[in-house]
Amino acid sequence: MNVLQLIANGIMAGSILAIPAIGLTAMYSVLRFPNFAIASHATVGAFAGWVANSVYGFSVLPSLAIALLISGLVGLLTDELILKPFRSAGVITTAIGSLALTIGLENVVRLFFGNDLRGYDLPLARDIIVGGIHLGPQQLNNLAVSIVVMALVFGFLFFTRMGKAMRAVADNPRLADIKGIDSRIVARIASFMGMGLAGLGGMLIGLDSSIDPLTGFRSMLPIFAAAVVGGLGSIPGAVAGALVIGIAEELSLLALPASYKSAVAFIAIMLILTLRPQGLFGREAN
Amino acid sequence: MNRREFLSASAIVAGSLCAPGILRAETVIKLGVLTPLTGAGASDGPRMVKAMQAVVEEVNKAGGVIGRSIELVVEDDQTNPEAAVRAAQKLVGVDRVPVIMGTWASAVTSAVAPVCWESKTCLMTVSGADSITQLPHQGYIFRTQPNTALQATKHAEYIASVGAKKVFYVAVQTPFAATMREQIASVLTAKGSSLVGGLIYESNKTSYRSEIDSAIAAKPDFIYLNSYSPDLTVLLKDLYRAGYSGGRITQSYAYTSKVAEGIQADVTDGLITVQPSSDVGSEAYSLVQKRLSNPAADSYEAQATDWISLALLAVQKSGKVVGTDIRDAVRLISQGGGTKVYSAAEGLKLLQQGKDVNYDGASGNCDFNEKGDIMDCRFRYSAAKGGKIELIKIV
Repeated sequence: MNVLQLIANGIMAGSILAIPAIGLTAMYSVLRFPNFAIASHATVGAFAGWVANSVYGFSVLPSLAIALLISGLVGLLTDELILKPFRSAGVITTAIGSLALTIGLENVVRLFFGNDLRGYDLPLARDIIVGGIHLGPQQLNNLAVSIVVMALVFGFLFFTRMGKAMRAVADNPRLADIKGIDSRIVARIASFMGMGLAGLGGMLIGLDSSIDPLTGFRSMLPIFAAAVVGGLGSIPGAVAGALVIGIAEELSLLALPASYKSAVAFIAIMLILTLRPQGLFGREAN
Repeated sequence: MNRREFLSASAIVAGSLCAPGILRAETVIKLGVLTPLTGAGASDGPRMVKAMQAVVEEVNKAGGVIGRSIELVVEDDQTNPEAAVRAAQKLVGVDRVPVIMGTWASAVTSAVAPVCWESKTCLMTVSGADSITQLPHQGYIFRTQPNTALQATKHAEYIASVGAKKVFYVAVQTPFAATMREQIASVLTAKGSSLVGGLIYESNKTSYRSEIDSAIAAKPDFIYLNSYSPDLTVLLKDLYRAGYSGGRITQSYAYTSKVAEGIQADVTDGLITVQPSSDVGSEAYSLVQKRLSNPAADSYEAQATDWISLALLAVQKSGKVVGTDIRDAVRLISQGGGTKVYSAAEGLKLLQQGKDVNYDGASGNCDFNEKGDIMDCRFRYSAAKGGKIELIKIV
């Protein structure tokens, strides 16, 4: 099997995975709990994008923007109304609450759209061959979208006032509070951004395959693996983690039967937690 | 009261208690139906019940079986093993039925089967998992649905018949994925074709590009896609993108009209779909169409018709309403050298005249092997064209 082809496929898969992984890690860094509701928000985004694209006839880019906006707003609302009251009870309780939320939200999607598979209104193009490697035009588009979104997220965090405030809260919430940063607003921005990115990622996944209410849930393991491998709370880490998981899953085909692909994500989590618990880019736990 | 008086009084009381039961038993034969009326199988269960009731009405009008009329006791298995076991225990314990017909999901049938064989009750089912007839059921299970080995054989014969020489097998991880691969390989070899490779993939991934790359590297001219709907969509798209232009075949349950709606037509054009078929065109099938006033009666309605017909003929043949006797009589009326009959009413008439019968049903000829599996059945092949599914042939 062509190793370069496998690596190319892995980069494509990893770049899509990176978007929701950034969302997860951004929320973790500010709100300090692993938000499992990311799965259903990816589904919400995928369906919002589908409605925009297939029902209202928007092209892909505006549909992606709508996916981000709707899932971000749903994320903001669910966090304010459902998860926020849990937070005073501790991390574990909030994480379990988010798990319940994801199941509930997934079933709301099922209530309105049913269990059927849906595809975006998007012509499928044959692969182009570059240097003996097959590359799908749609996947290259997805890669481009991912890179632009990542650049925008980095730009937001490093060059805007609100981005800097978010990093400050993530770094030291108490110090940020003393400096007059309103942690409630930062938490809302983090929820909107995190779940918006999850929804965008959900639609990117759907563009390449098809969507149903379980779209987000199916991707939850590699998304968490990417965030953990990169170091929960580190945004460059989430990108690196997603690429590591994406490429490792594809390369595993050289040594393992295809039916063990998901084992790669588990093994990666296990190895990283054993050898470097803070993740590739995470800071030492204190 | 002396001893003599006590005994006679007791005998009268006991006799009077038993009498209504005996009288009722002499007039009505109760047979059990356990089928999904709710849950995942709810679209098929009620139609199966209707098909069985139609046969019962016809037979009751013609005078019943061994001089008694038939009553179906219908229970809902909820497509849920736990609910099904409770319902089965009620059927065998309270209603004392000698046969239960209609389990649909393999998990339900596997759960209900021990209840049946322990109580010496026959179980007639549509579930496909190979493991069901491999249970130690002592002959009490009869399955009218082809098992996966029979399906694999027929599919491979079809693939060879369209001229495919190099076939690749792609299957989702299931208990039958590996056994089907072996069966397909041996049939293809016998037919002068070959299986050039196979892979079993993990379900629910968002991309199978690398898997498809490895399949195409084997240069097949035909690919067998043993998948469920979500994965099939991804696989078909990945095959199209990779520029694969050979033949493809999959199960009809994976390529549904909903799946077709979600994929552009030129990606799926030419995809062959296959499913077990009722014996369309046979005399028994046309009787089902007429009885149900449904020209498109499907495989489940046909199989339900066959269960009740086999059970009634077996009761008539053995002369008893006992599970073990029905079990022993089924093969006497479904296969062998007797006169061919295509409905229960027709067969009952001949049996009452002391003649032997061989029931050929609406789902197939209903010949069972020693495990309780049918030995042959027909399959329906269709092709995707312009987003629609068109019938090619039924063989």
